[in-house]
Amino acid sequence: MKNQIKRAIPKQIRRSALFLMLSLTASICLSASNEVVDNKYCTTCHGSDGRGNEAIQAPILAGMEDWYLVRQLENYRGNIRGFHPSDERGIAMQAMAKNLSDEDIIDLVQWIKTWEYSPPDTTVTGDKTEGEKLYASCAACHGENADGNETLGAPPLAYQNDWYLVTQLKNFLNGYRGTHESDTFGQQMVAMARPLKDDSGIRNVVAYITSLRSK
Amino acid sequence: MKSHVKRREFLNLLAAFGGTGAALTAGATLNLLPSASRANSLSLSSPNPNKKSVVILGGGLSGLTVAHELTKKGYECSILEASHRCGGRIFTVRHGDLIDEIGNPQVCDFDDEPHMYFNAGAARIPSSHKNILKYCKELGVDLEVFINENKSAYVQDDKMLSGSRIRNIDFTTNMRGFMAELMAKALTHEELNQPFSDSEAESLLSSIRSFGDLKENDLYEGSFRAGYKSGGFLKHGVQKDMIAFRDLLKSRLGRQLLSANEGDTGPILMQPVGGMDKIISGFLSQVGDRVKYRAVVNSVEVLDSGVKVTYDHDGARHSLDADYCFNCIPTHLMVGITNNFPDEYKTAMKYVRRGDAYKAAFQAKSRFWEDQEIYGGISWSDSPSRQIWYPSHGIHKPKGILLGAYDYGGGIFHTKMSQNDRIEAHLSDAEKLHPDFRSNVEKPITVAWHRMNHMLGCSARWQRSFSAGWTHEEEKLYETLRAPVNNRHFFIGDQISMHSAWQESAVMSAQWALTTMDAQVRHEMA
Repeated sequence: MKNQIKRAIPKQIRRSALFLMLSLTASICLSASNEVVDNKYCTTCHGSDGRGNEAIQAPILAGMEDWYLVRQLENYRGNIRGFHPSDERGIAMQAMAKNLSDEDIIDLVQWIKTWEYSPPDTTVTGDKTEGEKLYASCAACHGENADGNETLGAPPLAYQNDWYLVTQLKNFLNGYRGTHESDTFGQQMVAMARPLKDDSGIRNVVAYITSLRSK
Repeated sequence: MKSHVKRREFLNLLAAFGGTGAALTAGATLNLLPSASRANSLSLSSPNPNKKSVVILGGGLSGLTVAHELTKKGYECSILEASHRCGGRIFTVRHGDLIDEIGNPQVCDFDDEPHMYFNAGAARIPSSHKNILKYCKELGVDLEVFINENKSAYVQDDKMLSGSRIRNIDFTTNMRGFMAELMAKALTHEELNQPFSDSEAESLLSSIRSFGDLKENDLYEGSFRAGYKSGGFLKHGVQKDMIAFRDLLKSRLGRQLLSANEGDTGPILMQPVGGMDKIISGFLSQVGDRVKYRAVVNSVEVLDSGVKVTYDHDGARHSLDADYCFNCIPTHLMVGITNNFPDEYKTAMKYVRRGDAYKAAFQAKSRFWEDQEIYGGISWSDSPSRQIWYPSHGIHKPKGILLGAYDYGGGIFHTKMSQNDRIEAHLSDAEKLHPDFRSNVEKPITVAWHRMNHMLGCSARWQRSFSAGWTHEEEKLYETLRAPVNNRHFFIGDQISMHSAWQESAVMSAQWALTTMDAQVRHEMA
């Protein structure tokens, strides 16, 4: 994933993206206040250079594909994701995203791309052999090595926080995500997640997915 | 109207409170009252000339306490504060102030007058919190009395009296009266009389009668303590009607109303004149030149000889080396900040939950509550907004700032709402206490601590179960976090205490860490 991003963004732009972020992101100077407010909230929740924060349940952003980041920010903004009353984290994310303009989203993604990826800790244990069997149907879209497929709109999984993958699979199964009529990809995931059935199935497949990181 | 209470009701009541055995057990400990102690007196040594640099992560109260004490001794302190302001959850909101909630930034539009402020975080200083009071005195922070309980304020519960509001004094006087009647009856019963001698029983009965203002027949028949229905000055006062015990029992607010003057809110409470952040201003008058604002910590690396910190500031990444580091960044944020802490620290940091307290405030166009005999204090409601606080300051001025909601935890009901929905919820709830509330207020603000930038939470929650108390495992995790890392890095703040949410805890945590560090300095210098 890291290499894909490096291919996608010229080195010079990567180096200067932080500057671009500072200069381009719409800043609001709210009336009556001397303080400038911008949209650079990402690291508060998602941690240093977007490496994720388990305590906040905010996933790793560094190294994520730009097309996926854009789509998810648009989904949050459009109430396609983060709308369910029980999706506490999604609701928090939607609150941040709902005021973003298209230009803001591009600026934020440019900023995110300046962060170096480093593999997160493994926190989920499961039966990888069982997980491999379950992953067979996932591989068609997400790839044998779980490194994603932009053409199919399937993001990489192997590099993500394992606890986040667990949460999202549960969200799909519980109807917190993927039930909006405009969420075509999410609807696919709801159908694909059904065979996982229970927590052990989820843990097994996630344990297998993160084991693909080194491949 | 109800004249007296059935014995069965009392026995049920006793069971609810743990029964006589529990009461006797508690009574046996009454002679173990802690003696009043003085504020801590730090006697820190001068620094090792080769190890004088200190970096303090976060300009909250504990960080500023450390900076103040160490600067006095000759240390070179640098404070990195991620936000645009110091103080953390000591946050007084006034005209023009930014409330930096992620996704919902607000700028306070209250009238620009000294008394028009709202303490969105810490709001009360008990007289027993000697260490924070000591700093108030040292830093010249003027204090005034904070009115917490107000018997003239209202109580409202949809389940009680068809949702009608009543005065706190009506609720508590009647509740106490009926409870006393039940206790008096029970005491005369032979079974329950047994544990007491005649003189003890007489003393207890006398107290019970006084507690509930019982008549000579040990029945509660109403009390002038609730005020007069009419008269009382130039004519004889007419007693108010009693409220039926069963009606009062339909509300569970009695738990809070009967203990409003207990625990931390038992001692006289105070607030700084002009806002709680006068304490922060006091510290900044001493160490304000050491603070770098909007400096967001990126990494913390503890080394043998000190600590290396990287942070983002003014669009660039900086590095800072120091001999010691004091860290009041919330542990739930430190989990996401690159660090090389030992695994047991990381485990402990992940264990602590972030608090979710929430407050909202309105500017009142007039001090309408003072026309209703309410000066300061709290009205209680069973609604999600829970409380209205009337300002203790600015009495009889044209306007004031009302706290319109205080959800002190247990969910993020309002936090999850849009700003408009939050405000509508508070207006709707407040109308049950003050029917004209909506037309009397303007310029609302909300402070959802769970979403505040660079904090993402109110006070730390160590215990998974308050009723069960601290588990042994939780105590071990706590001891882990408060132990220094390599004698170089110290976690501080009310989060590193067993009594979070109080400024006293933040100060005492800082003092504990300073004392620990000082022992190390003395050891190295020896």
